Amino acid sequence: MHAVVCVKQVPEQNSVKINSDTTIDASGITPIINLFDEYAIEEALQWAEKNDGKVTVISLGPDDATDSLKKALAMGANEAILINDDSLGQVGAQGAAKVVAAAIQKLGDVNIVFCGKQSTDDETGQFGPALARFLGWPQLTYVFKVHELTDSQIVVDRALEDTLETVEASLPVVITAVKDLNEPRYPSLLKIRKVSKQPIPTWTLSDLGLSADSLGGTINIAKRTPPPPRPSGEILSGDVQTQVKELVQKLIESQIL
Amino acid sequence: MSSEIYFDKDQELFRQTVRRFVEREINPHVEEWEAARCFDGRKLFKQMGDLGFLGVSYPEEYGGAGLDYWYNVVLAEEVGRADCGGVPMAIAVHTDMATPALAEFGSEELKQRFLAPAIAGDMIAAIAVSEPDAGSDVAAIRTRAVRDGDEYVINGSKMWITNGTQADFITLLARTGDEGGFRGMSLIIVPTDTPGFHVSRKLEKLGNHSSDTALLSFDDVRVPVANRIGEEGMGFMLQMQQFQKERLVGAIMGNAGAEKVIRMTINYCRERKTFGQPLIDNQWIHFKLCELLTEVEALRQLTYHCTRLLVAGHDITRDVSMAKLKAGRLAREVADTCLQFHGGMGYVEEYPMARYFRDARLLSIGGGADEIMLGIIAKYEDMLPRRRK
Ligand SMILES: Cc1cc2nc3c(=O)[nH]c(=O)nc-3n(C[C@H](O)[C@H](O)[C@H](O)COP(=O)(O)OP(=O)(O)OC[C@H]3O[C@@H](n4cnc5c(N)ncnc54)[C@H](O)[C@@H]3O)c2cc1C
Repeated sequence: MHAVVCVKQVPEQNSVKINSDTTIDASGITPIINLFDEYAIEEALQWAEKNDGKVTVISLGPDDATDSLKKALAMGANEAILINDDSLGQVGAQGAAKVVAAAIQKLGDVNIVFCGKQSTDDETGQFGPALARFLGWPQLTYVFKVHELTDSQIVVDRALEDTLETVEASLPVVITAVKDLNEPRYPSLLKIRKVSKQPIPTWTLSDLGLSADSLGGTINIAKRTPPPPRPSGEILSGDVQTQVKELVQKLIESQIL
Repeated sequence: MSSEIYFDKDQELFRQTVRRFVEREINPHVEEWEAARCFDGRKLFKQMGDLGFLGVSYPEEYGGAGLDYWYNVVLAEEVGRADCGGVPMAIAVHTDMATPALAEFGSEELKQRFLAPAIAGDMIAAIAVSEPDAGSDVAAIRTRAVRDGDEYVINGSKMWITNGTQADFITLLARTGDEGGFRGMSLIIVPTDTPGFHVSRKLEKLGNHSSDTALLSFDDVRVPVANRIGEEGMGFMLQMQQFQKERLVGAIMGNAGAEKVIRMTINYCRERKTFGQPLIDNQWIHFKLCELLTEVEALRQLTYHCTRLLVAGHDITRDVSMAKLKAGRLAREVADTCLQFHGGMGYVEEYPMARYFRDARLLSIGGGADEIMLGIIAKYEDMLPRRRK
């Protein structure tokens, strides 16, 4: 089994500050591994350990995304690859998926890809499904539990709005992980030191036989507007009896009861 | 603070890891451990051992990571930010107070038997120096280890021993000779399953409730002479050396805890309104908090200076005594000022402030009281009065 985990480096949410002109204050941003990707890494590691397989982590991002790849290596991944190219600065989720698909094809022997269900910065949720499409593989999204995984097949539970769906699929396959799929391990100090000098190759578009104009349109954020403030609540008055009566009435009116 | 000036990427990743560990494996249990008057050392130390947190700068032969002391600084800073003082203290006792002498001067056999399992988190360590009648005055201890063939027979008692009810072995300072004062003492490893060893009492304390503190007694406890660390009679000197790391880690943890509480107070004062404005808008309040942050920053630099000296192989006694003194004083000031700014919320248990107020008080007493630090500094500055004949 050769599993690939797609890892995106994102800003830690509570480290992001918005300037008064609604641009983002880049100072003081702490980069971390996208929350959902950590579950993807952990799941890949657990099944690779069981199946005597290997795990490669891939990140498309700037040079400092190697920090997140290092962390994934310290958690136990075998190899890491950074995809970085000057023309990838504004690439959208579809374009990114096309590039990563090319990298996975270049690796050759990959039979399962783990992604997070979405990234906590752009939150498009497109990457995993788009990747599956470019690879021409089935996709299992919102995976909440993996029951079985062999070199030929996988059985998972998908967490949908109000049902759990148990699905079987044959490999190769792309899965996207939801929160609490597992408990991501901590990198041990020994591992942190061990992978410290492990080289992380950088692949560019030309290494992947792609050109910038084959990646489709780019997406720019034209404007940010804070959501309108929530209307303030209504405070009922009178003695408790009348208040409760009025409250029940209002709940019935708004069809909550 | 731009910490990348001081710490490299590996150290930052280690910091991130420890921070998350504290948030997920320590903080959620603090209420329960405080109420139980004891943390779950068996489980916590095993988890930490598995991740390599307990042997950061100890040699690889014994399961350590063999790194320089800057990694201990990262560990102490992050563990010091936990939601209580008790657990960080218990961890520091294990890693930096009960084991440094063993690691540096213990025999190969002793290190295999006790250091390696301590680093792995399979054994819990305690350090026993203080006695009911000898705390600051270490030279006044009376616990005796009398030689009988190739065994020591130990009698006496030790007071205020951290991890005392949970420890698997005690690093014990005892008298092995008849010379008085600081001569004739040795450091001896005593496994707590040795007959004659008893936990006489678990002590109720003002604060650090999650840490177990005990009065221990030794009644004809027999251990092999081979359990001695280093030469016979060198115990006092080894312990004085061991104290330096204890004080450094105490200062670092204390400072990290103080900073956390100041920042918590800043947030509280932003939210809390009096007379139509947030508390923080009062100049008295924001000036005072800025002064405290300035003190924290200055103390941090002093601890980094001590670390630099230590890593370069210099004697840190004078400087680390200053850091420990300052940390104790600052913790008291931060506790008092921040509690004041919390008002009634600072006094009730709904909020972590009250716990910090209790826990912080120890730093000026444990590991050598403020006055003992002043005495050491005075000695190094050659200010002590000459002894009259
Ligand atoms: C929670 C806790 C945990 C502890 N853990 C451990 C442990 O794990 N192992 C261990 O061995 N010990 C431990 N101790 C003991 C601690 O190290 C001693 O309490 C400390 O050294 C002070 O000794 P003492 O209490 O006997 O105070 P004393 O020596 O009686 O001194 C009382 C006070 O007198 C003042 N004083 C003392 N000497 C002088 C002087 N020469 N000049 C001026 N003023 C002076 C100081 O203000 C001092 O606080 C712990 C204590 C506590 C409270």
